[in-house]
Amino acid sequence: MATEILWWIFAAAIVGTALGVVFSGSVIHSAIFLILSLAGVGAMYLFLMVEFLALVQFLIYGGAVTVLILLALMLTRMGAGEKVNGSQAPAGFMVAVALAAILVSVAVRTAWPGDTGDMPHNIAIEAVSEKLFLDFGAPFVIASALLLVALIGAIVLARQEDGE
Amino acid sequence: MVPLENYLALSAILFSIGFYGVLARRNAVLILMSIELMLNAVSINFIAFAAYLDPDRIIGAIFAVFVITVAAAEVGLALAIVIRLFRNRATSNVDEAAIMKW
Repeated sequence: MATEILWWIFAAAIVGTALGVVFSGSVIHSAIFLILSLAGVGAMYLFLMVEFLALVQFLIYGGAVTVLILLALMLTRMGAGEKVNGSQAPAGFMVAVALAAILVSVAVRTAWPGDTGDMPHNIAIEAVSEKLFLDFGAPFVIASALLLVALIGAIVLARQEDGE
Repeated sequence: MVPLENYLALSAILFSIGFYGVLARRNAVLILMSIELMLNAVSINFIAFAAYLDPDRIIGAIFAVFVITVAAAEVGLALAIVIRLFRNRATSNVDEAAIMKW
């Protein structure tokens, strides 16, 4: 019972801070709401008992990604009084509400095969590593190559060239 | 205990919020932040399915690892592009980066 109450509190916090990200008028406030929202998603992984991904979420999203975003916000200052939303925002709002209604109704009404209504099963770190390094070895290596390429590409793109 | 549907509904709502952000915002960094929200919604979905429906093979959890990896690569590259755009045109507004628009 206590778990359920906590779950609803965290779910409300995630949705509230996510709304803060898209509705806040200041980019820095948006970034701070984003940190809170991503930390809440990490808490969701703990509710699902997937400790490894919760750790990864806190480290990579809570740490690295948000720091990168804050740094980019610092480097690309917006002019004072510049509007953050385009003129298409009201239409986008209606499309997003319709999308949410459709997705939620589909998710709630579908009888998911294999769903016995049990507790979520604990996914241990050992099980994840075994899968990742045995069955998914090739995608793992390709993903690391992708990261390396993206890193080099980012350096090349953002580098200050002579005479600029 | 929390049923699977709750996670799916939460993920759907989070995805739609991010979708609205992508549609409505003009600043490239804000659009990127909304994309992060959408990717996180997808990860919640993958992991919820893995934990409830597929606890033996846990492919959803492995997919979430790759989603996080690709998201990290994407953020690094996208922010490099935004900084380059800002340096060349003194704006991070995507409406003004329309030089390749026909």
